[in-house]
Amino acid sequence: MARRPLLTHAPLPAAALALVLATTSCGTGEDETLTVWIMEGTNPDATGFFEEANDAFTEETGMDVEVEFIPWADAQDMISTSIAGGTMPDVVELGTTFVPEFSDAGALHDLAPAIDDPSSYNEGMLEMGQIDDAVYSLPWYAAIRSVVYRTDVFEEHGADEPENWEELRETALELSEAEDDMIAFPVPGDAQYSVLPWIWGGGAEVAVEQDDGTWVSEVDSEEAREGIQFFTDLSLEDDLSTTGAVNWNEIDVMESFSEENAIMAILGNANPKAIVENNPDLEGDIGVFPIPGQEEGYSDSFAGGSNLAVFEGTGNEDAGISYIEHLTDPEWSVRWADETGFFPGGVEEIEEYAESEDPTVQPFAIQLNEAGRGTPVAPEWGQVEAENVIVGMQQDILNGNVSVEEATESAADEIEQILNGG
Amino acid sequence: MMSMRGRRAALPWLLLTPPLLVIGALLLFPLGRIVWLSMREYHLSNLVSGESEFIGFDNYIALLTDPYLWNVALLNTVVFAFVAVVTTVVLGTLVALLLVNLKVVPRVIVTSCIMVAWAMPVVSGTYVWIWIFDVDQGVVAQALMSMGVVDAGGYNWFADRFWFYAIVTLNIVHSGFPFVAVTVLAGLLTVPKELQEAALIDGAGPWKRFWHVTFPVLRPVFAVVTILSTIWDFKVFAQIYLMPGGDVGGSQMLNLGVWAYVRSFGHNDYGMGSAVAVVLTLLLLAITIVYLRSLFKDDEL
Repeated sequence: MARRPLLTHAPLPAAALALVLATTSCGTGEDETLTVWIMEGTNPDATGFFEEANDAFTEETGMDVEVEFIPWADAQDMISTSIAGGTMPDVVELGTTFVPEFSDAGALHDLAPAIDDPSSYNEGMLEMGQIDDAVYSLPWYAAIRSVVYRTDVFEEHGADEPENWEELRETALELSEAEDDMIAFPVPGDAQYSVLPWIWGGGAEVAVEQDDGTWVSEVDSEEAREGIQFFTDLSLEDDLSTTGAVNWNEIDVMESFSEENAIMAILGNANPKAIVENNPDLEGDIGVFPIPGQEEGYSDSFAGGSNLAVFEGTGNEDAGISYIEHLTDPEWSVRWADETGFFPGGVEEIEEYAESEDPTVQPFAIQLNEAGRGTPVAPEWGQVEAENVIVGMQQDILNGNVSVEEATESAADEIEQILNGG
Repeated sequence: MMSMRGRRAALPWLLLTPPLLVIGALLLFPLGRIVWLSMREYHLSNLVSGESEFIGFDNYIALLTDPYLWNVALLNTVVFAFVAVVTTVVLGTLVALLLVNLKVVPRVIVTSCIMVAWAMPVVSGTYVWIWIFDVDQGVVAQALMSMGVVDAGGYNWFADRFWFYAIVTLNIVHSGFPFVAVTVLAGLLTVPKELQEAALIDGAGPWKRFWHVTFPVLRPVFAVVTILSTIWDFKVFAQIYLMPGGDVGGSQMLNLGVWAYVRSFGHNDYGMGSAVAVVLTLLLLAITIVYLRSLFKDDEL
């Protein structure tokens, strides 16, 4: 039987339960307890970290902190409903791609007065929450995807880390033949960040802002199509994936790797630690290489991560800012990074990781520093994600419903329609 | 000073007031709010500011001219509900007819068993079906692959509208037929034995006895189970939303209920989402009225 992660697919009951919890646990007035929403699903268990970080905060300020863990898949719905009901938490972790949308809507508190030195933060992540002079969120940790692979399997069959797309394909073909019952390279349908590197690697952008402020999507360009064709053909033509992977999200891909079913996979920098947590047998057998470029170099990968933001109108804004300062302070942000595998959101702290000796850390740092890219900074981008435009495109192709040309064309239309406010 | 008669007239209203207040707060207010929302331009920023603009029927016009409504959402909703209701009621009735012929002990055992299907929470039930039909490792896929019906690569039935809804129908019928069976059974136990015996003596076969004796007596029961099943099957949500591909905006698998949710919370277009919800409600009302009228056309009811 497949073990699907229940929580990631069960937004309604979870959301309802959390709403009940939220309404009972936090009011909108001045409160002794600070409520914080932290995302969960792709990183190792964070309970222990927050117990200690919160104790330290309480000692410092005398304020209690209550952390609620929210599955990533439910985050957007839950935040929207909490805004509607006036039951927002005081502090929230927001995936960087959702920051522009909530900043633009006026839901967040301006943090600019509390920032001493903006250049100490990762620039791309800070920008996501910037509108004019206001800064609506602060970088907390950076996440990046690269190719995670089984060093023991590579070694056994004498395979090397591939350095371009063709080598990647050939390596996967060889390993797939040698390891009959393993998936050489899962091509998931429900994981848009696994698709973007091929669009970027092919030489296209997801969407480009024109001089007149409208957006034009390049997903249907020749370059993007070539990349998407290459990625989906790994499954459709070369049979290096599995039919069921059409329904997989990033967590399913990670589980397939944890269960020793996959040899390579596009995974995030917090995944190796989570995989070893799931399956200690794999300790020492996990390697990472940056996603190779089409001919040479690297393909850009999605540089995401999370910012921390304070909701406007909770009455606890100042305490919320103190809590963000507490979590983004190197003492706790570096510790969080060490425990999860994510990178800290501060510039100086990130640089240290590029020199790390750890084979599951350094390649990710290279990918982030040399080949990381973000999604379009438009308030409407969150809707492109919530509407699953790229996922729909990928699944249509993998299911054999439509050609790459047709799928990319309608995806580009949809992206333009949403970004241009249609 | 109120007269005795006046006091008597006021008493029912007095007793009705508390429940009416509760219904008003829990049912009528959200209903009115949805209608109000459906005539507004309402996005995330309006949610934050609380202010919004009245745009009349613009949302409805956009909705009714959207081919997605006619080709996907409405079609899925109506065809699925029709198939599911017919299957549920027929299967439920057959089970009830079986139960009424059983002795007490076996009847209790069978009833308890089907109650389990009824009591299964929707989310757990749906996941069980998803697991059963898992494309790679599900029991159905494994069985079909070992029989050679499906080749070793497997087949993604969640991507095919017909098979997707076939699985949803299985799920809905499985959780819906116990209610029909138990309700019809209760009705069957009230059908006078004399009627059946008289028909038997007149030489009526089992089908004639059911259709001409049992069914007319149970007509109100069938009306209730059919209408309730119709309402439930029209507004199916979790059983579709939780399925792979059931939450993807623009996919071929959405029905009106899921679409309303995706429009509201995916697109942050709460006005449009509400318009979809209102259309679904009106559709249900219309179907219920037409059905009730046709059912009781010949009766004095």
